[in-house]
Amino acid sequence: MSEMPLLLEAQSLSKEFLMGARTVEALRGVSVAVRSGEYVGITGPSGSGKSTLLHILGGLDAPDSGTVALEGVSFERLSDSALTRLRLLRMGFVFQRFHLLPVLTALENIELPMAEAGMARGERMARARDLLGYVGLSDRADHRATQLSGGEMQRVAIARALANRPALLFADEPTGELDLSTGRQILELFRRLNQDGMTIVVVTHDEHLAADAGRVIHLLDGRLTSSSPNSPAP
Amino acid sequence: MILGAARNLARHRLRNGLAVLGIAVAAALLLDMVMLAGGMERSFERMLLSRGYQIRLAPKGTLPFDTEATFRGAASLSARLRADPRISAAGAVLGGALFTTIHDSLLPLAGLGVEPEGQGLYEVEQGADLGPVDTTGIVIGATVAKVTGWRPGDTVRVTAGTDPQITRAASERRLVVRGVAHWLYEARGQRTVGIALPLMRAMLGTAGDRASIMMVKVVRDEAVEAVASDIRRLAPDVEVNSVTTLVARFRTRLTYFRQLSLILGTISLFVGILLVTTLLTITVNERLGEIATLRAIGVSRGGIVRRVVAEGALLTLAGNAIGLLLGLATARYLDRILTSLPGLPAAISFFVPERGVVVRAAAALLVAGSIAGAWPAWRAARAPIAATLREEAT
Repeated sequence: MSEMPLLLEAQSLSKEFLMGARTVEALRGVSVAVRSGEYVGITGPSGSGKSTLLHILGGLDAPDSGTVALEGVSFERLSDSALTRLRLLRMGFVFQRFHLLPVLTALENIELPMAEAGMARGERMARARDLLGYVGLSDRADHRATQLSGGEMQRVAIARALANRPALLFADEPTGELDLSTGRQILELFRRLNQDGMTIVVVTHDEHLAADAGRVIHLLDGRLTSSSPNSPAP
Repeated sequence: MILGAARNLARHRLRNGLAVLGIAVAAALLLDMVMLAGGMERSFERMLLSRGYQIRLAPKGTLPFDTEATFRGAASLSARLRADPRISAAGAVLGGALFTTIHDSLLPLAGLGVEPEGQGLYEVEQGADLGPVDTTGIVIGATVAKVTGWRPGDTVRVTAGTDPQITRAASERRLVVRGVAHWLYEARGQRTVGIALPLMRAMLGTAGDRASIMMVKVVRDEAVEAVASDIRRLAPDVEVNSVTTLVARFRTRLTYFRQLSLILGTISLFVGILLVTTLLTITVNERLGEIATLRAIGVSRGGIVRRVVAEGALLTLAGNAIGLLLGLATARYLDRILTSLPGLPAAISFFVPERGVVVRAAAALLVAGSIAGAWPAWRAARAPIAATLREEAT
């Protein structure tokens, strides 16, 4: 894997939050590098800074200090609109609570990032149908998000994340809201995606999901305590 | 985007339905106030020009039929004016109280002595007009026909100078109803009749060649002001007003009225804006997580603003459509009440629903509604993505 090109690089990330009168150091000088095709799990106890790290790596939040670069493009040099465009075209996001738009159908939810990217209607509909097939939900195309089960919603969210053929897929506790068996299906889907070449960074409490990752980064109190291939923290 | 906005609004049907009704009421009030602000003036002008007479002569210092005053030399003046090639018609009018008796009751009539060859007061709808020197004919209005049952060809008894207490008339005539006419300046319920001017003078016992008003029709509209100016020189004891001058004087009298409608219209516009802003602020606050997700997956701030503004515009559009119907219906209702005020010509309207006025009011509210959505939209677009997602997850 080390011969694969460097896709994402973060150096010395620090981030503080004000919690009432108290300042919480969510990240303390964390550095991460992700190569193309990697499947990286970020683990750690609650409040260790996992989600904060993922948000900063995905350009959803800015660090107080440190830098992040995707494919050599440093986020700090980008305007809000350029960073938004980068997220739209080069990154995919999967959230714990799915966050599908309830007024749209499964197909329309998947179409949305492609429409935002300016893809022609016919082309994006065809791709949305392909992606629905990929996640095994061809028969749910015209169902509203509210008419889908948790597992189905998460699979639609994954399909949406893949819509614009991103370089990197971020997932924040993607099985956190699902039962064991449904969670396993999502886990299998991530495995298949990675085998198909997708680079994945996933924040998880789920040991199975972490065990599936090629490399696990363990955080504790905002510090990186270990980064090892297939060695999830106890 | 519009479809998405419509679906989002459909998520809270009752709430948004009530908001649309609120916007509709504001739109209706705005429309009514805009119609009211200029409607009376336009309606007044239209009424004055309905027979094409652009100049009115009245006793010095008065407006036509504003008082019971009369001026002298009317017949000679109208003869001189008719001789002017720039003038196509001129006729003097003398107003006075006439009476008739129906079922042993005295019925007062609004009598007008006219010169049929130059009158701009009525249009015959049934039967014939008075002859040029008609000493036995009478033209009646529809109200008189309805109340008395008179028809063209009937011979009727009309009196003048009658003392209502003792029902004794100074002058009485048996006249033949020549026709039923639509009186252009008649108030609702007014019982107007017209007889030839010399007969009216004789019946009223008016000494000399007097008239209440005179109406003049100029061949070319461009020459109206020049003709009016010449008449002023010719008859310095008479008040000469072109329709343009009368409308201007009318406008001055209506200034407070117009200001009031503009203030109420502006208030209704602000109420509409506040309604949309409040509703969209609530909607946006409820959907911050959704909006943060859209931002996370790459929807630009502009895209968020467009989505929220589209919802505001859609709400306003729906409110406008209902408000338009509501506004027209209330305008019609209020118009009926206001035009039944005593002494006001029935032809005058307080609310004139002209297409331009309606479009301007609707456009003002639509623009205001869209602007009203801008602030909540801007807030939504600037919401911190990560913090909002974190809050949503807890």
